[in-house]
Amino acid sequence: MKSIRLITLSFLIALVACQGAPGQPTVLSRTPVSQRRKITIAWIPKALNNPVSEVGKAGAIQKAAELTAAGPVDVEVMYVGPVASDAAEQARVVDDVIARKVDAIAISCDDPTACIDPINRAVAAGIPVMTWDADSPESNRFTFLGLDNIQAGKAGAQLLVNAMGTKGKVAILTGVPGASNLEVRIQGFKEGLAAYPDIDIVATVVTNDDINLGVQAVEETMQAHPDLTGWYFAGMWPLFAERGSMPLWEDAALHHGMKTIAFDALPVELTLLHEGYLSALLDQKNWFWGYDTIQIAYDHVLNGKKFDSFTDLGYNIITKNNVDAMIQAWDTNNFSNPLPPP
Amino acid sequence: MLASLKRSSINWANRQEFFVFVLLLVVISYLSLATNTFLTANNLQNVARNFAYIAIPAFGESMVIIIGGIDLSVGAVMALAGLVSALGMRFGLPVPIAVLGGIASGCLVGWINGSLIGRIRFPPFIVTLGTMGIFRGIIYGLAGGWPVLDLPASFTYLGQNNLVIGAAAFPIPMIVMLLTAIILALLMNISALGRYIFALGGSEEVLTVTGIGLAQVKIVVYTLCGCLTAIGGILMTARLGVAAPTAATGYELDIIAATVIGGTSLFGGEGSVLGVLLGAAFMQILRNGLVLLGFPAYWQSATIGSMILLGLLLDYWRQRRARL
Repeated sequence: MKSIRLITLSFLIALVACQGAPGQPTVLSRTPVSQRRKITIAWIPKALNNPVSEVGKAGAIQKAAELTAAGPVDVEVMYVGPVASDAAEQARVVDDVIARKVDAIAISCDDPTACIDPINRAVAAGIPVMTWDADSPESNRFTFLGLDNIQAGKAGAQLLVNAMGTKGKVAILTGVPGASNLEVRIQGFKEGLAAYPDIDIVATVVTNDDINLGVQAVEETMQAHPDLTGWYFAGMWPLFAERGSMPLWEDAALHHGMKTIAFDALPVELTLLHEGYLSALLDQKNWFWGYDTIQIAYDHVLNGKKFDSFTDLGYNIITKNNVDAMIQAWDTNNFSNPLPPP
Repeated sequence: MLASLKRSSINWANRQEFFVFVLLLVVISYLSLATNTFLTANNLQNVARNFAYIAIPAFGESMVIIIGGIDLSVGAVMALAGLVSALGMRFGLPVPIAVLGGIASGCLVGWINGSLIGRIRFPPFIVTLGTMGIFRGIIYGLAGGWPVLDLPASFTYLGQNNLVIGAAAFPIPMIVMLLTAIILALLMNISALGRYIFALGGSEEVLTVTGIGLAQVKIVVYTLCGCLTAIGGILMTARLGVAAPTAATGYELDIIAATVIGGTSLFGGEGSVLGVLLGAAFMQILRNGLVLLGFPAYWQSATIGSMILLGLLLDYWRQRRARL
């Protein structure tokens, strides 16, 4: 009896211990040769459990390999971050990489305010920091690489008007209410639609970043507004669900001319675009979160290059005219070739 | 034994089930009049489908709460069971085997919870908080950040389709929920296990005196909760056709709220399957109604929270009145 207890107890302690050590850094793209100088760039996403983090990581590895092959130093990417989105855990991760004396840090902030202190500590320790995707504008980071969400929102409005015409009823889908990037995307969308007085925004619904709630919210909105002519998805949550899970939305999209514009360009969305469920996608260029960031950090560390406070990454518009090129980019996990025009 | 006898002698009109039922009727009547979309077959099917996979885990949670425990790991177990089934199918296992595997993974988590709580006498709050974190972490590890997609149609059928009986079509998750409810109601009310569960909630000493193994009852109850939660998680995965590592995050609170609204006392010893069913229905209809009414999205959480609190206050007031 006693031994069973001991075994169970030690099992529990072991499990807790495993769990308490998130974000063991994975050092990637090491070139085995040489006495060459090496620079290490810590690339920290909001959460390791988010698929787009993996996409950005692939871009970072690609750029590091290119720079290592072409330049005088070895470039190493340290991919590390909180497992789930967690500002406090992310701060600890930053402290860890400061202690490991990396040459630069590139971070997508879980929270703009919570990020200030860790970023400033790193800068005080002589490590330059840049932000990407999610900024911490009041910190001492040297630049922010991201997209102008107002512009992207306006582009979303124009794409929707192009698809459905200048008259109709539109609904907006968002994630967690109050998330700043989503709010700005919605603001840009509304500004873009302001020029079209015959388009009414009849509903704004939330998903709390949850696929299941997203599916429910879309179907309930379709139920409440069967004459809806357009959707603006500020994120792609319900689109992860298999066809058949949103019968009203699917039917309206395929048979009643309802149009949907969505953010991101993950493979599931490309398939839905291909099959006519979606009209256009606003691709945030997730792969370049890694690819461009490593280049910027490299130029800053090695060549002392200066950057503006905001570096515009831009966005891609994906329609059925260029979806095949995007599908190919996913197949090869290389997005560096420019896409054909939308 | 004593507790269950006492419980059944309470006047039905003083029971929380009756109260929630009336509340539900009020909300349904209002929504039927205020919108022309609530009382449609399609919407009602959607509501039933969506609350089934909250209600089934909530049945298990209510048994845990009746014995004076709590299970915070239910959200993580829903996601785990969905993911284990989905991965099984992706590896080519037949759908029934993959589903059984998913259910087994939930039962296993429940058994671990029950063993730590029953045998080692760790506090339920701490144990299930720990297993919640551990199994959510295992899910992230298994899935590597990406949701598991492209599940077979024979699996998504379970979540998305209806069983047509006569002129009416019933969503399959709803049928699973009703069957589960009937079995559990029988278990709770006529089996020896049911009597032990209520007795354990009333006072652990009664059982100790009668020589029944407290630990065994706890292990059975937590394991059952894990199994039921897994069924809910698998139905949700079948409905969405995707097993996401972040699925059901925070659902433990919805599940606990459904049980408590349905009259399960957080102090233990009191609760019923019917009450949980009504509680889960109430929460889903409330959420559904707010969207159909076009209620501002940013105020929905606050409204749902307030309604839950109101339901609890009514229960408190009813109990006080009954005691006077």
